[in-house]
Order: sequence, then C-alpha cells, then structure tokens
Amino acid sequence: MYLTDEEKRMLQGEEGVVRQKCMEQLVDLAEIAGAERLVDLDGTGDFTHVAGGRGKFGFPLEALRDLAESGAKFKIPTCSNKVPIPQVPFHGWEKCGIPQHEDPAYNEKLRGEEYMSLYRKMGVFTSHSCANYLTSTFWPTVGQHCSWTESSAVPYCNAVLGGRVNLDGSFASCFLGKAPYYGMHITENRRATVLIKAGRPIQSELEWDVYGFAIGELAELAVPAVTGTVSASTSKLVKFNAALNTGGSVPMYHIPGVTPEAPTVEFALSGKQPRKTFVLGETELRQAYEKINYLPADEVDFVFLGCPHYNIVDLWRVSQLLEGKKVKVRMWIMTSPWLYDLAKSQGFLKIFEDAGATLLTGTCPAAMGMPEGIRTVAMDSAKQSYYITGRFSTPEKPLHVCYGSKEDCVQAALTGKWRGDWR
Amino acid sequence: MKEIRINGRKEFGGQITGEALVSPGPLEGFTNCSPAGGFVTERNHPLYGIPYKGKILVYTYARGSGGFTAYGQGANIAGAFVHHKSNALSATCASLARVPSVSDTEIDPTTVIETGDTVFVNGDEGYIVVYKKD
Repeated sequence: MYLTDEEKRMLQGEEGVVRQKCMEQLVDLAEIAGAERLVDLDGTGDFTHVAGGRGKFGFPLEALRDLAESGAKFKIPTCSNKVPIPQVPFHGWEKCGIPQHEDPAYNEKLRGEEYMSLYRKMGVFTSHSCANYLTSTFWPTVGQHCSWTESSAVPYCNAVLGGRVNLDGSFASCFLGKAPYYGMHITENRRATVLIKAGRPIQSELEWDVYGFAIGELAELAVPAVTGTVSASTSKLVKFNAALNTGGSVPMYHIPGVTPEAPTVEFALSGKQPRKTFVLGETELRQAYEKINYLPADEVDFVFLGCPHYNIVDLWRVSQLLEGKKVKVRMWIMTSPWLYDLAKSQGFLKIFEDAGATLLTGTCPAAMGMPEGIRTVAMDSAKQSYYITGRFSTPEKPLHVCYGSKEDCVQAALTGKWRGDWR
Repeated sequence: MKEIRINGRKEFGGQITGEALVSPGPLEGFTNCSPAGGFVTERNHPLYGIPYKGKILVYTYARGSGGFTAYGQGANIAGAFVHHKSNALSATCASLARVPSVSDTEIDPTTVIETGDTVFVNGDEGYIVVYKKD
C-alpha cells in the first residue's frame, strides 16, 4: 500500500514507539480491509478505550505517560467512548442493585482513570457514551473524514451528518488523525444500491426502531435508500441507526429529503435501478417486532430505558410520564455522563428519584449486568433486546424481553404488568 | 471426494486445513459471542453453543456491534474465517484474531460448504478448497 514519507517515518519508529505501534495497527487494518492508502482525517474521532492498546499493537502505560508529558495531542477532536466490560456506571452506581457495582473501590478501579487522565491531557473528551455525538456539542460537517467506533453511531455520522466514517475508531486512528481509505470514505460507495419501501407510514419511535431492524436484516451490508418514514426526529434517527446495525451492518443510508446527501430517491440511487427493492408491509414489520419482543411475559420485574443513551428530550419525556407516580418494579434510565448534571438542574433527576427510578450514566445492562434474579425485562430498544439475551438468556433459563414504546415501558414500571404490543 | 475451489480475497494470511462449522446466516458479536467459551450465544442461532475452536468458521457476513471482535479473542478462537462479504467488523476481527481469513468470495460459501466438510483455507492467496465426500 502507498504510504507518505511521514507515515513511513512513523512506521520505522523514528517518531517514537507509540506512533510506531499506531501506524503498524493502521497499516495492518488497511491491508486486511483492502485499502490502498490512509486518509488524513479532518473531522472527529471516537474510540473505545482498551488498556494497553490492541493485541500486538499495544504499548505500556509508561509509554503513554511519556507521550502525554511530552505535550503530544490528538490530531482530531476525539471522544473516548467507553471503559472496558464490565462497564461501570459513572452515576447511579450507588443504588443500582448490583452489589459489585455498588462498591466504590470497584467502580473507581474500573473507570480506567490512569488512562483517562492521560487521554484528557492529550486533548480527548472522556465522555463515555455510545452516543457521544449527542452530547459532544461539536460535529463533523458534510464530507469530513472521521474515525468513530460504536455501530449505532456510525450511521449518524455518515447518513445524518454527512461525515465520512467506517467503524474503525481507535486510539491509533484518532491520535494520528489517519484511517484506512476504503468503504464510506469513498464517494461511490456511499450511493444507495437497494430501495426500501414501507407498506404503512413509519411514524412513532417504536416503528422507526422496528423498521430499522427489519431493513438491517434485508439490506445486510448495502446502502439503502429508505422511503416511507414520517416526521424524523433525533430520537427516531438514533433508534433507527441502532436497530439497523443490530439486524444488519449498514454504515450509511439515505432518506431522501431528510438526510443531506440525497434530495430524491433517484439521486440516492445515482439514477440507476436498485439492485433490489424491498417492501416492508404490516406482516414483515410485525414479524420483525416479534423477533425483538422475545418470549414476552405478563409480569415484569425490571424496566430499562436508554439504549442508545437517552438525550435530554428523552429524559424530559420520561420525567413527564413518571412525575408524581411510583414505580412498582426496579427501573433504570440510562444517559450520557455529561447529561447527568443537566438532568439534575432541569429537575428530572428528582422526579425519577421521587418515583423510585434510578438514573445511571455511561453504560447499559448488556455491558454492566443486571440485578440478580431478574427474569423479565421491559425495554424500548431493539438493540438492547438483542444483546441482553446474549448475556443473560439460555434455552434452559430464558430471559423474557418485553419490547415496546417508552410509554409501554413506563406503564410496566408503574404496574409491574406488560401491556405493550405492536400497534 | 469432490474438490471445489472458491476464489475470494485475502483478509489475513496463513494456511490451514480443518473441519467446517457453517452458519447459514450472519454472525453477531458483543454479548452474542462468548470468547471465553468459544461459541455463539445469540438467541435462536443455529450455531448456539457449538464450539468453534480450531474450526473453519464459515458465515455470510458480520453484523451488529463493533464487539464482533469477540470472535477474534480468547484461547478458543476459530482456526480460520471464511465469509462472503467483508466489512469493518470482519476486518477489525481479523486484525485481532491473526488467523487465516478469506473474504469477498465469488459465491456465498455457506451455499456450498456444510458443517463437517474439510476445507483448505489459503489466506495468503485468498482462496479456499472444499473437499466434499462422495
């Protein structure tokens, strides 16, 4: 593959061991992915912290400390996504109901602060969210090359913001400001090749979530032009993206007239016929809903909201549903650490606490675990439904996942009964 | 014995001959793979609970979370990967796993290979040979 003189110098170790390891990692990934060169990033970065770096491309903490103390900075504005699993909460851990997580020493140890403090010194925003793009207050613009991690975030960058990104965010890519040039960095690959139509208007958040999951299963890795949606909002797009990359692996899509790179279906498809057209009618949508709504039960003993991490408007909506009421079963509401103080100052935290619900930040049940003994959980996220069972369900002892709208889930928390459905 | 050669693209080099374990659809990582146990934990998945250690793990494509890297971790890793379509998930997994991996195959390998077939994976040159019993 082609490397610039600067890149060759880094690869040969002339600019220190950390830059050398980073360049080795990027070249390795580029060769695997079939990229012929690296691209200089001019957008934003987002990476998941891995203590000591990734496998053979790792380097000791001491080398990172030396680098930070030398004044080295990340090349692009970068958020640090998460800490390793078991991903501890940044707020709400004291009363989450899991004894291990309620131990302050455990929480402190797993926050990875020895690394985070060095990252911050190097300019990283240690925001600890799967939805950093919602709280970062700084976004890439159309055409900017980025390097992000997190499957639900990647379509937000590509489709919603018009940035250019593959799911490859790492310390290496964000620190050096370089990424393998392939996939969504290349204009031709961003054009739609399949067309999606809906047999009913896709309007509510639940409908957007189910539609996303169903499209993901059909589109697989293709870029779809999506029609049939109504009244897009931030919350709906976030859910749609997360579900798309649960049912499939869709880095990019166009909703003509909504997303920035395609004003019309014809433009999205570059004037060509779609390779395939899928029509998702009532039957297909219900089938998708029933895949996500896994072995639902009448009695609920846990309610979880906030996958991907709720934005401030989601928190506001749930606070309105809970104000002046009391939950009957344990309820977690998850958001980004940076929104905790905002939720507090807006009065939402007090409403949640008065209702008996817990506001947590920076993680999710699939990543941190759930309180002991829970067999039926209600949630409003196709993504979380699909991953929570991977961790907690077996054929012998299934976890029941009741899947529905925010409102259905809050009702379940208030009554202990599940009444949600696909409507 | 019938031999079928399928051309693809090198994802990661190395050569190995082994027994195929075939997923008729995609694989999904993060919690839906147990790297410690070396098996799929995705609900209703045909490979649920079946050990893949040392096997030629054949699947259509990688979907879902960036945690697909779970397939590239642990002592119970597959012997090689063969899949029809590559993406950022399969690339990152191959970088971590460092076992032979062939992708972008000319036909969907899951339509030809059955679990238990012997498969030669040539990651260096980007092709596989399937040995079907008569």
